[in-house]
Amino acid sequence: MILAQWKMKKLVCAVAGALLFSEVAFGHVGNKDIYQTVEAGPYKLFVTVRTPLVIPGIAGVEVRSSGASLRGITITPLPLIGEASKHPPTPDAMKASTSDSGFFTGSLWIMASGSWQVRLNLDGVGGKATASVPVPAVPTKILRMQRPMGMMLALLGCFLVLGVVGIVMAAVREARLTPGSLAGPTRSRLAVVAGAVSLVLCAAAVYLGGKWWNVEAAGYEAEMHHSPTMRVILNGNRLDLLIGGSDAQHGGAWKNVENSQLLADHGHLMHLYAIRWPEMDAVFHLHPVPNGKAGFTEILPEMRAGTYHLYADVVFRNGFPETETAALAVPVGMVGAPLKGDDAGATPLPISAGHLGPRYKLPDDYVMEWKKPTEIISNTPYTLAFQLLDPRGNPAADMRPYLGMPGHAAFVKTDGSAFAHTHPDGSAAMPAVMLANESSSAPMSGMHDLTDMKMSTEPVSSTVTFPYGFPASGTFRIFIQMKHGNTVETGAFDANVK
Amino acid sequence: MAADIAEPHSLLAHGSETKAQSASTESVPWFIWAGALAVTSASVGGQWDVAWHRSIGRDTFWTPAHMAIYACGAIAGIIGLYLVLAATFGRSGYASQLRAASVNIFGMRAPLGIFLAGWGGVAMLTSAPFDNWWHNAYGLDVKIISPPHALLILGIRAIDVGMLFLILASMNRASDAGDSNFKMLRRLFLYLGGLILGGQMFFIMEYTWDVALHRSIAYICLAIAVPVVLATISQASRFRWAATTISAIYAGSLIAFILIFPLFPAEPKLGPVFYPVTHLVPPKFPILLIVPAFALDLFWQRARGWRLWHIALVSGAIFVALSFAAEWPFADFLVSHASENRFFGTIYFDYNSRPDGYDRLRQFFHPDSGLTLWLGLLRASSFAAFSTWVGLVFGRWMRGVQR
Repeated sequence: MILAQWKMKKLVCAVAGALLFSEVAFGHVGNKDIYQTVEAGPYKLFVTVRTPLVIPGIAGVEVRSSGASLRGITITPLPLIGEASKHPPTPDAMKASTSDSGFFTGSLWIMASGSWQVRLNLDGVGGKATASVPVPAVPTKILRMQRPMGMMLALLGCFLVLGVVGIVMAAVREARLTPGSLAGPTRSRLAVVAGAVSLVLCAAAVYLGGKWWNVEAAGYEAEMHHSPTMRVILNGNRLDLLIGGSDAQHGGAWKNVENSQLLADHGHLMHLYAIRWPEMDAVFHLHPVPNGKAGFTEILPEMRAGTYHLYADVVFRNGFPETETAALAVPVGMVGAPLKGDDAGATPLPISAGHLGPRYKLPDDYVMEWKKPTEIISNTPYTLAFQLLDPRGNPAADMRPYLGMPGHAAFVKTDGSAFAHTHPDGSAAMPAVMLANESSSAPMSGMHDLTDMKMSTEPVSSTVTFPYGFPASGTFRIFIQMKHGNTVETGAFDANVK
Repeated sequence: MAADIAEPHSLLAHGSETKAQSASTESVPWFIWAGALAVTSASVGGQWDVAWHRSIGRDTFWTPAHMAIYACGAIAGIIGLYLVLAATFGRSGYASQLRAASVNIFGMRAPLGIFLAGWGGVAMLTSAPFDNWWHNAYGLDVKIISPPHALLILGIRAIDVGMLFLILASMNRASDAGDSNFKMLRRLFLYLGGLILGGQMFFIMEYTWDVALHRSIAYICLAIAVPVVLATISQASRFRWAATTISAIYAGSLIAFILIFPLFPAEPKLGPVFYPVTHLVPPKFPILLIVPAFALDLFWQRARGWRLWHIALVSGAIFVALSFAAEWPFADFLVSHASENRFFGTIYFDYNSRPDGYDRLRQFFHPDSGLTLWLGLLRASSFAAFSTWVGLVFGRWMRGVQR
């Protein structure tokens, strides 16, 4: 009986994990654009890359300069790794704003799916410099035809069909008559028959053309990005996660993503956020450990019973980041272990209790404060600043990096359609940033440096900033993590985005 | 011209119903020269555009190659507008002559070729928003054959064929009347035939790449696309070496592109760049169509008394056998070091040619052999026979076109 219940529980967890999220989750969930700060020599840039929905497609690039004055920027796209990363195409000059000399815009073509970088060549008062921003680019959407466009094409198509019929009838009726002669009734009748035949043939051609269109569309749809599935098995408080998917080359059989295919990000192959749903009144930032060749294991801490959304960030060896998603049902009475290592969590007020303000009181009487913009507009780049204050209201003095960074942020839309785990440098995955800037400045020294990514332990400021743009209007809950002494603080804030 | 067929061709079963009697000396009208120019512009533009995409990658509406293609539509539009207005509404004597040699579609009068070209222009215009939408929906298509591109190519081909019909009607009338401009009109007709053959080869380019020439699909594509043009032009032109001539025009024009394009600097503006291109990448060396074309010309001269479908069956076999016999070993030469020079052009690669790709490695892509190959060639022969039959019937019908 107990075995049967356990099997059923495993089955439910696995099925829920497979079915819950339909949103495409490359890089982050529902966040296609990259917001990244770049420092290159004396230049400080806030780069926004608006990745295309279709591939090949055009990526928009916006640069806000806040360091030394720039005379010009050129940009060029190239793959993050491999032979083609050594041959940048001719760069394009970005256009400087006429009203704001520190703002530049440009665009470039991303011609294939995969892990790309935008290389920025900077020229200004501080001389020349180069920097790169990684850009994961995959097709995620198929545009449906708008009604006016469909009507216009249908009308033109009808005109073309009628044109064929008219031309065929004229050809049969008159084309072979000597100049000045008139067509007799036999030829006229033959012309009508030929016109009818041509109409049928045109209809067949249109039908076959439609079939061809469907085949092309299906081919494109098959090449759209589909994140691997994450299987979830909960046994007691042991959580096993297995990433994989159907392997088209082997009849759709399940194929694991092997751990050797992944790069360490801030010292961990996987960063797992577990958020209690739908109230978002519990959040955990966990770091499952690799379990042999494939799969991860996490001994869960004390967690309130309920459904949790799982967001697992991994980075593939080509620098392509993915957020694998699943759902986890934590049963009543699960006995958890104490939080360990870099793991951290918090239990903010539920969404239904009202909007969280810009000051978040922490369990040890520290306060996390958000210098909140008066208005937040979707798809607009912001530098969002948060400060940790000690119980006396002073800036916390014993700040330490958390996982090598001054802070970590998770932006989660309350309807579950968007999730992004970002850092003070931006929303690009750190191993991808390192790959991009290795290839733009010095010869690649190999992947081993990335897997052994060194993390700073030097003291950091009590204020941390995150470059980010909210991907859509609606309510977002923001989880900010900072570390003082040996304590990782997790603050929660709500934002209404217009 | 010694090669002219003086007597009516035996395959000409049906000519015009009555023969026109007109003046014996005529010049070639300006709109026919302009029509030939329009087709030339589209042909050059098409090859230039492909070279642009293989070398530079990114383009805009205003690239020179696109301008050359649009010029075809613009010139055809000017000719069409003039002829429709003159033939429909003109009151001069010349307008009356034009009206007499025109057909009527939906109340408008003009030579049949003009309506064909006009249809092509509308098809080109329709393909533009369709193609734009396609790029937004599925991304920029990196292959030649997509539904909107097919419509665009169909439109261009309709203009080509329309201009061919414009010349054809004048040529047939000149032939019947014994006018002095007949030979010039026929030269123009053959010239356009050569460009149209080049257009057919353009359409099947992706299947007849040099490293794909050891696959039966290459010969199947040739069998479908080529004999219909050779037979049509041969029948309609009344010239015994027509197939050889238009094959030579196709080959000559491609060789000219191979020699000329690399003279112009070009750098990729798109990634990924796997091969650092410095100059415009020319087309691949032409397929040796001249070999089966010459054999078909010889055969057709000797098969005048045969039934049409007998001619088609034998022509299909000749075409595939000689295409295979010529191209298979020639492809071996093309992938060898011996062909690596400016004339054969196997030293040029696209900017996005992967170093481990078949083209860069100069290796045949999935070559066929044994039963697969021979069955493929057998299928190709049947396609070539049908393609020839269509060409013979249509070409025979074209010989009677007067308007």
